[in-house]
Amino acid sequence: MMLALEMFRSVPRTVAGKAIGGRMPGVLSGFAAPLRLVTLDEPRVDRPGWARLRTRLSGICGSDLGALSGRTSLYFSAVVSLPFVPGHEVVAELLEDCEDLPKGTRVVVDPVLTCAARGVEPCTHCASGQTNRCERITVGHLAPGLQTGFCKDTGGGWGQQLAAHRSQLHPVPDGFSDEQAILVEPLACAVHTARRAGLRSGDRVLVSGAGSVGLFATLALRELTDAGEIIVVAKHAHQRELAREFGATEVVAPGEVLRRVRRATGAFQLEPQFSSPYLLGGVDVAIDAVGSKQSLETALQATRAGGRVVLSGMPAAADLSAAWFRELEVVGTYASAQGDEAFDKAIELAATDAVQQLAKTVTAYPLHRWREALDHAHSAGRLGTVKVAFDPRSSQ
Amino acid sequence: MSSFIKESVDEVRLVARGWRWGRRSQVPRSAEEWVPAAHSTVFRTEWSRRRPAMAAREVAQKAGLEPLFRSQVRARVEGLDVLERIDGPVIFVANHASHLDTPLILLSLPDAWRRRTAVAAAADYFFDTWWRAVGSSLLFNTFPIDRRGGTMAATPGEVLADGWSLVIYPEGTRSVDGWMGKFRMGAAFLAKEHGVPVVPVAHRGTYAAMPRGAGWPAAGRRQLTVRFGEPLVPGEDESVRDFAPRIKDAVAALLDEDRTTWWEARRRVAAGAVPDPSGPDVARWRRVWEQSESPVADAPARRLTAWRR
Amino acid sequence: MSRPGFVLEVDDRTPPLVVHEGLGFRLEDSFPLGTRVVYPPESLPAVPDVDAAIREALLHPVDSDPLPTLLFPGMRLTIAFDDLSLPLPTMKAPDIRGRIIEHVLTMAAEAGVDDVKLIAANALHRRMTAAELKHIVGERVFRSFYPQGDLYNFDAEDRDDLAHLGTTDKGEDIEISKRAAESDLLVYVNVNLVAMDGGHKSVGIGLASYTSLRHHHNAKTMVHSRSFMDHKHSAMHHSAWRMGRVIKETVKVFQIETTLNNDIFPKPYEFLQKREWEWSVKDQATMLGVRRGLSVAPQKLRHKMFHDMRSVYGLTGVNAGEVEAVHERTLQKVHQQHLVEVQGQSDVLVMGIPYVGPYNVNSSLNPILATCMGLGYYFNSYLGQPVVRKGGAVILYHPLNEGFNQLHHPSYVDFYEEVLAESTDPAVVGEKYEQQFAEDPWYRHLYRTSHAYHGVHPFYMWYWSAHAMDHVDEVIWVGADRRAAARLGFRAATTLQDALEMASGTVGSSPSITYLHNPPHLLAHVR
Repeated sequence: MMLALEMFRSVPRTVAGKAIGGRMPGVLSGFAAPLRLVTLDEPRVDRPGWARLRTRLSGICGSDLGALSGRTSLYFSAVVSLPFVPGHEVVAELLEDCEDLPKGTRVVVDPVLTCAARGVEPCTHCASGQTNRCERITVGHLAPGLQTGFCKDTGGGWGQQLAAHRSQLHPVPDGFSDEQAILVEPLACAVHTARRAGLRSGDRVLVSGAGSVGLFATLALRELTDAGEIIVVAKHAHQRELAREFGATEVVAPGEVLRRVRRATGAFQLEPQFSSPYLLGGVDVAIDAVGSKQSLETALQATRAGGRVVLSGMPAAADLSAAWFRELEVVGTYASAQGDEAFDKAIELAATDAVQQLAKTVTAYPLHRWREALDHAHSAGRLGTVKVAFDPRSSQ
Repeated sequence: MSSFIKESVDEVRLVARGWRWGRRSQVPRSAEEWVPAAHSTVFRTEWSRRRPAMAAREVAQKAGLEPLFRSQVRARVEGLDVLERIDGPVIFVANHASHLDTPLILLSLPDAWRRRTAVAAAADYFFDTWWRAVGSSLLFNTFPIDRRGGTMAATPGEVLADGWSLVIYPEGTRSVDGWMGKFRMGAAFLAKEHGVPVVPVAHRGTYAAMPRGAGWPAAGRRQLTVRFGEPLVPGEDESVRDFAPRIKDAVAALLDEDRTTWWEARRRVAAGAVPDPSGPDVARWRRVWEQSESPVADAPARRLTAWRR
Repeated sequence: MSRPGFVLEVDDRTPPLVVHEGLGFRLEDSFPLGTRVVYPPESLPAVPDVDAAIREALLHPVDSDPLPTLLFPGMRLTIAFDDLSLPLPTMKAPDIRGRIIEHVLTMAAEAGVDDVKLIAANALHRRMTAAELKHIVGERVFRSFYPQGDLYNFDAEDRDDLAHLGTTDKGEDIEISKRAAESDLLVYVNVNLVAMDGGHKSVGIGLASYTSLRHHHNAKTMVHSRSFMDHKHSAMHHSAWRMGRVIKETVKVFQIETTLNNDIFPKPYEFLQKREWEWSVKDQATMLGVRRGLSVAPQKLRHKMFHDMRSVYGLTGVNAGEVEAVHERTLQKVHQQHLVEVQGQSDVLVMGIPYVGPYNVNSSLNPILATCMGLGYYFNSYLGQPVVRKGGAVILYHPLNEGFNQLHHPSYVDFYEEVLAESTDPAVVGEKYEQQFAEDPWYRHLYRTSHAYHGVHPFYMWYWSAHAMDHVDEVIWVGADRRAAARLGFRAATTLQDALEMASGTVGSSPSITYLHNPPHLLAHVR
């Protein structure tokens, strides 16, 4: 038997969370979250390539908070299977040998549940290495679930044990701390984001948001692409400093974005009636690393005609007029693809000084203090934290 | 809201301290040479002859001044019948021996006259601070005149022209020993200029009741007398210089009349033997001694026998 | 007779003194004893008959033929005039410029001149609205010229209407309005509010483009303008004078300069004109009423209260003719109205920044403009040497909380958020950013079509302050928003005592203090 946090189906809580969770996170961590601490059977492992893992650390991601507060679109209800144990940013150790990896190996998990993990014939995307685009995420021997942490059969990082397929596992180099390793998965997403941004040499980029997604995207852009100026929108003081360390050329406050982009690019600013201003001209690529309506619209408004807007956060509904009028390429970036060796690059990035420093600020909570942990994660930016995680080992 | 009130109070206090409210305002030493030569700081008094001030004065005089006055002194009024024969405005010209003179004269007048009578007061004393100016013009309907300049300021003429009667003390100041001093010519000038009659007024006993320097009437309800005389009208070709002594003589005759009888006084006028109102040329103490006696024997103090055993 | 200005020494008899601070004023009662307070002269008597004075000036100009003889049929006549940055606050209608222009036009009509254009010499200032133009030139002139486009704001970015007249012997470009340069006669109507205005600054700066202005509007020149209220010792004016002499060779300029008295505050704010110890009870009551009202009024209402003020200036003189000769006479009058003798410098200079400066008429006094008012205009209100000693401290009063007017000052916002965040050194920011801001197409567009100050204008504000920043070691704002003050590179204090305490590190614990009691305007002649 093991302890785990389980997300379950609860219409009233979901509705309450959706109504006020965003405004009053205290309510969410109080009673409105459809989450409970339960004792479950360990996940069963009876297929080749699968192994059980003991979670060492599992991060709380923005998408987890979104799901708990009911802000996530119902679009995703078809690709999850309730009840499930959340947690897709996982560093764990093998409880048994898994193909070439011996028992006890410390691994990070690529959460995407691909055709290989589901035991079906590879779809075209999996065959070409674009595993994050797998089309079989609802079939096979696993319950529907786009990722580990959204599927009821695999378990997730917010439990003491979970199951994973060999294709998902990436050994953690020696010398990495768990806190450092926990950042590998989000870094891998950032690596993918940088690829999706499709930058040409010297392009000017706007990164809207300086939470972990925004910061890692900044780092990936700086390290892996030939970006010119990178303007990062940061709300809080510590985020501003971090953004600079992670490679931003300029850091601006949310209210200043449009003006600063305008100044930097010599664009023209227009003031529509009863609506927010926008630019004619602007950055070549904008990355929305928040997913809020405002952030996405800022990205759309600050991008030059024919530029690209990358949806890195799970997007909210927004006015897409600019995308039509300025012929913007709005592209999504979801998780990471195995074909890009995103995790290998992410592990390299995780070894950099900036990330090592950041890893020291990762705050871990035992499972039974999940309400505190969620509360903290909700206001992480204001409290000067970038990543909050669960440490299931400390709950017995 | 409470902070607003507190701030307001603080601010008023700051201004009150900074600009020395109720006291003389001061000029920083280094600015003294740049302050223009002291021009007259006389306060304006037009407001005191408008309706609201008149109403307030009526209340103040009838409900405040009169009962207080009667409680401290007794007054005998003679000769008011002259007022029935003339219409205002007139100039009341009286001798001046005490601060009691003004209330005595005002309160002796019939109400209709009293309400339309203003008192000329020394600008340099009654109008040099706002509170004294406001107080005296509200209670006594005073207006400022300049007693140093010899000629009067423009105001009395304006007040007369507006139909107000005036009380003028041509001596210009209170007597130091109760005897009458020299008369200036202002009153005569005004009467001539505006063609209004002069009503001579003589009163006695105010010096005895409350001389110069006293702040309150002496105990024992002293007796005062006041006598109004026949109106004097300046003749067609009579000059101010000729008219002024006539006024003084009329007041002197009235004083004589008050002391003796009308008939005796008339006879002395005819004989040119009216006693000099400026008193005998004797030692100072004797002059004061004589004036400090009440004109009529003071009545014994009222006894509230019901409360005595 | 108006009394001259003088220097008060604060003693124990001194009442609290008025210190202006933006949309309000303070009663400062904590000036240390011995503080010197410089009061401007009282208002000079006004010219009794303004129309007669104007006619006299036009018919008997200085070093020039009478205006009517310069007018002939078929000529091109251009009348340029100062924009709304003068006078401050705005003059109650009718504006003196309008009255003069009417006289000039009457003479032009009599002479049969057809081709007349009226140009507001706003240089890089914002375009004025139709209503603002109308206020300056008057209804008659406005109706006759504006609809056809013959009365317009100068556009320093209209390449088609600029003429390069050559360079001075120091290599400075001279580029001014083409229409003005190609006119047979250019009549300039000025308001010489302070000593800085007028002379060759009128045409040479008012009708010039960035190409020309950059030669004297820069940190280096301004540091060497001591002060720019004294054109004989101002590097900026030297440059303008060099340019003016070249302009004179190309175009005939008929300069008309006017001087105003110090009647700034109309009813019911007259108490602000008076010396505090001479306030009557009524003045004190009005002051208390105004202050209480201000304390509860929302910012918008306070803005309206102050900016709706129209000053009832009296005209003290009007001179016309040859630029330099006219300016000589004008300055004499200006000095008569503003000059105060001050003996020696002090350690600390205190100044209250009022609600309006040249660049926020009908707008808000943002932190950059407030700095320019204090360290630019007021600090430089001296002849001889600065009122404060080298290495001294300046204490300014202003809340710095008015924010930015997006319509009028778009480039100021970027200057504040981006440039000042990087450096507050006038020379450094000028070097790195001036060009970018000056050539930014959007700023240009807003300057030409909207009502925005030119992109480079905030830099000029910062340059105006360069001399003061170079001269003093410490600048402290009393009652200011801390963050705004920090962004400007200064410190903020709550009260004067705190500010003096903070300054004690620079000037010691018992410094000599001078407070410049303006407005009304003054010019300290420091011996």
